[in-house]
Amino acid sequence: MKGLRRGWKRLLGSLIREESELSLELQSHIEMQIEDNIRAGMPPEKARREAKLKFGGLESAKESYRDQRGLLWLETTFADFRYAARSLRKSPGFTTVAVLTLALGIGANIAIFSLVNQVLLHPPGISHPERIVVLRTKYDKLNLDIEVAAPPALAAVRNQKELFDYAAASEEPSFIYADQQTPERLPGAAVSAQWFDVFGAQPQLGRVFTPEEDQPNANRVVVLAHSAWLRLFGGDPNVIGRSIELNQKAYQIIGVMGRDFRWPRAVDLWVPLALPPTAFTPQNWFNEHLSVAARMRQGVPPAQADAFLKTLMTRVLDAAPPQAKRYIGDAGWSLSTTPFRDSSAGVTKTPMLILLGAVGTVLLIACSNIAGLMLARTSVRARELAVRASLGATRVRLIRGVAAESLLLSLAGGAVGVAIAHAAARLLLQLAPESSAAGLEPRSDAYVLGFAVAASLISGIFFGLVPAWQVSKLNPHAGLRGGGRTLAGGARQRLRSALVVVEAALALVLLMAAGLFLRSLARLQEINPGFEPRGVMTASFLLPTQSYSDGERQTVFIRNVLDRLAGAKGVTAATIGRPIPFSGELEAGAFFIQGRTIPQGEAIPQSEHRWASPDYLKTFGIPLKEGRFFNDLDRAGTEQVAVIDEKLARRYWPKEDPLGKRIQPASGGDPLKIVGIVGHVTQSDLASDADSGVLYRSIFQDPMGGGSIVVKTTGDAASMVGAIRDAVRETDASLPLFNVKSMDAMIGNSLAPRRFLLRVLGFFAGVALFLAALGLYGVISYSVAQRTREIGIRVALGAERRSVLRLVVGEGLRLAVFGVAIGVAAVALAGRFLESQLFGVDAFDPLTILMTSATLLAAGLLASYLPARRAVRVDPAVTLRSD
Amino acid sequence: MEQRTDVWQGTLALMVLKTLNALGPLHGYGIARRIEQTSENLLSINHGTLYPVLLKLEQEGSIDSEWGVSDNNRKAKFYRITKAGKKELTAAEREWQRANDIMARFSALQGESS
Repeated sequence: MKGLRRGWKRLLGSLIREESELSLELQSHIEMQIEDNIRAGMPPEKARREAKLKFGGLESAKESYRDQRGLLWLETTFADFRYAARSLRKSPGFTTVAVLTLALGIGANIAIFSLVNQVLLHPPGISHPERIVVLRTKYDKLNLDIEVAAPPALAAVRNQKELFDYAAASEEPSFIYADQQTPERLPGAAVSAQWFDVFGAQPQLGRVFTPEEDQPNANRVVVLAHSAWLRLFGGDPNVIGRSIELNQKAYQIIGVMGRDFRWPRAVDLWVPLALPPTAFTPQNWFNEHLSVAARMRQGVPPAQADAFLKTLMTRVLDAAPPQAKRYIGDAGWSLSTTPFRDSSAGVTKTPMLILLGAVGTVLLIACSNIAGLMLARTSVRARELAVRASLGATRVRLIRGVAAESLLLSLAGGAVGVAIAHAAARLLLQLAPESSAAGLEPRSDAYVLGFAVAASLISGIFFGLVPAWQVSKLNPHAGLRGGGRTLAGGARQRLRSALVVVEAALALVLLMAAGLFLRSLARLQEINPGFEPRGVMTASFLLPTQSYSDGERQTVFIRNVLDRLAGAKGVTAATIGRPIPFSGELEAGAFFIQGRTIPQGEAIPQSEHRWASPDYLKTFGIPLKEGRFFNDLDRAGTEQVAVIDEKLARRYWPKEDPLGKRIQPASGGDPLKIVGIVGHVTQSDLASDADSGVLYRSIFQDPMGGGSIVVKTTGDAASMVGAIRDAVRETDASLPLFNVKSMDAMIGNSLAPRRFLLRVLGFFAGVALFLAALGLYGVISYSVAQRTREIGIRVALGAERRSVLRLVVGEGLRLAVFGVAIGVAAVALAGRFLESQLFGVDAFDPLTILMTSATLLAAGLLASYLPARRAVRVDPAVTLRSD
Repeated sequence: MEQRTDVWQGTLALMVLKTLNALGPLHGYGIARRIEQTSENLLSINHGTLYPVLLKLEQEGSIDSEWGVSDNNRKAKFYRITKAGKKELTAAEREWQRANDIMARFSALQGESS
């Protein structure tokens, strides 16, 4: 307590210093002594002398008084920083360059980190995301690994109270919101009662669902997302209790979610899932269609969840009827969990980490550059440092001076970096494809701020260490003697050269990464998706069950729209299908082949399902290989038919003709007769076409409540939007169209994340190359300046300009070549990390290595040619005379 | 000339407290004189060393200071012991007493060789 109080007083003493009081007090002390001495009979002169003797050294008393008053280390630290600030102010050029370089480097790092933070580390609006797991189902033999589960799995997890606090499921249906002039489709989610508890999300207004509301036939209620509340209701606080119409049914608004929580991503509203009790019966165990999330109890390790699911699986399989047990077991069925953050980040995880690595590398290069500048600065200041050393400044004190400078620079850079990070993050999100940027915004929290401080300090330490080490080697005598020009010249130059080599190597790594992504993208764009996207326009629709309750009404709608489009101007062909390629949707299912038994241990046949109307092939330009496609006669009441693609034909009928064979979908219904074989089409991703083949069905024989209208024209695809809108409006004016996109745009969108990654990476690689070249330029310039005399002598002795040029450029190129060698080695070691993001190109691609190395060497050549040219222009008469 | 003892750090603080406790508010010069007088001039202190000790005691809260006027009308800073200082003093005195007692016992030991 006493120590604390004294420490506090001394801290204050360091800040507030009152010198005059001390002088006055000491003065009066001595005066009193003199008076006493005189009173004791001394002559005034002696009295004064004796008094001073008695008191001791006045200045040393004051000095120890000052030491006692404040905290010495604090005061010298202040002094160091004041001195550092003054000396930085004295070289504004260096300071500006260093602070701006750092600000850009740190700012870019903060911007990327703020995105990584909200996607991978601390998703906003979700409390303790590390305790949330997502159920996933695997069918090993079918190559299926999906983050969905069946209703009985949800119930089992929800009831396992020792392991899980909450569990809930969601589905993502669309809603047509018709309470405004033009009906609009809203993305929404149907969730079970504990959904918000799982994520620890609180409503801002009203409440969330009760278990009673999560029942079939309960009152229809809805919770709005914060953004939807602002957009549709202008943030009206009295919205609770109001009724809105969704899919032609009235829903009562009971709550508005907090601003940050929006999961499933980018939904506008939540309604109860209201699964009927029959959904939880054992025969529904393999009907996986729900996204299930669960919150683990505090302190329960996720491994226990997987262990529980394992025993659950055995139990389920044991209880299943023999037939089902065999199919499921042979398909390699299993249940497991994925940490929520891995699941929610999904495919953006690796690209984000790549970007973070790239900006980190740029910052590293920037720091190396600043370290080089500081080294040069230290050597220029060698004389000043030598003078300070000979005046009694200790080595530690000098190093502290350099450290203070680095710290000031890094904090200034960090501060400016924080200021630009927000704008940089906004820019990034604007450039990013919609699919990756959905739900993200420039956002900083305590973690981002902590990262900013840490990045600044680590940068400061990084680029401060080298000059500090240099100062520790300082020899004051040499410094004073050498006219203050050199500071252990050779070692210093070697250090700077080493820094430049590292910079070049890092820049090469980034260049190569960008090069590899560029090559991958080029390869992907060459891929033939199996259809002709040019001139194809698409738009999606949704038929509310209220007015389109059965297949007949749905068929009538589809036929009417197609009839109207057939007569529209410019339309070459039109079709309605679902799901269409590159829409991001997927339907898959199992089937049995009539007359064939599945051998023991082999999985049940599996295919993707698509529904199409007769002109599908013509619209997409897909070739018919054998038999026929659907025609108008393939409708309700005629023989059920199917068309398969060549991939499915090869897989399940490798040695026979599938035409005329019958298959039975595992989901039920009549058997289907195969009437045709068509070309294979890439469904969603040019990079991985992993499906086992496609089964097409006539949309008239198996209609459904939604799909996509696809129109082919000879002209510009966008010119068809009007025709599609007219055809739909004339058929049913209350239906909104959504996802109105050309096929080219949809394929483009599927590549957008790669294109974005390439652009950002390319930008950072360019910055890295520029910084590395700048570093090299600095080193060579300095070296030329140091060797002016030597070059002068060479020229005077008759050396040709070309040989001098070669000498200087050679020095620069040697460093660049070292950098290339190290960079190539680094890619050989670290390339594996990139491999998952590459397509059709090896991580160690010779062409890319060649091109990027050449680029780096060219930059190195330029960076050393400029100072070299200056060197040969030297007039030997001038240099030799100087000094 | 009789032998005079240098004051070692730490004990000076105790002497200051004791003096202020016994005599009430005093200025720095007064304290120095009193300490010398009390020790019957056996102690010699450089008066200058007193001031850092006074500052330390003030920072700890054992004493207080206030500007005032001395007997012969000179402006001087007067120091006064605080409640905390008195408590500190009692504790320190007890410590000293104990140390003295122990030392006394050792002094009383009869060495075998002597």
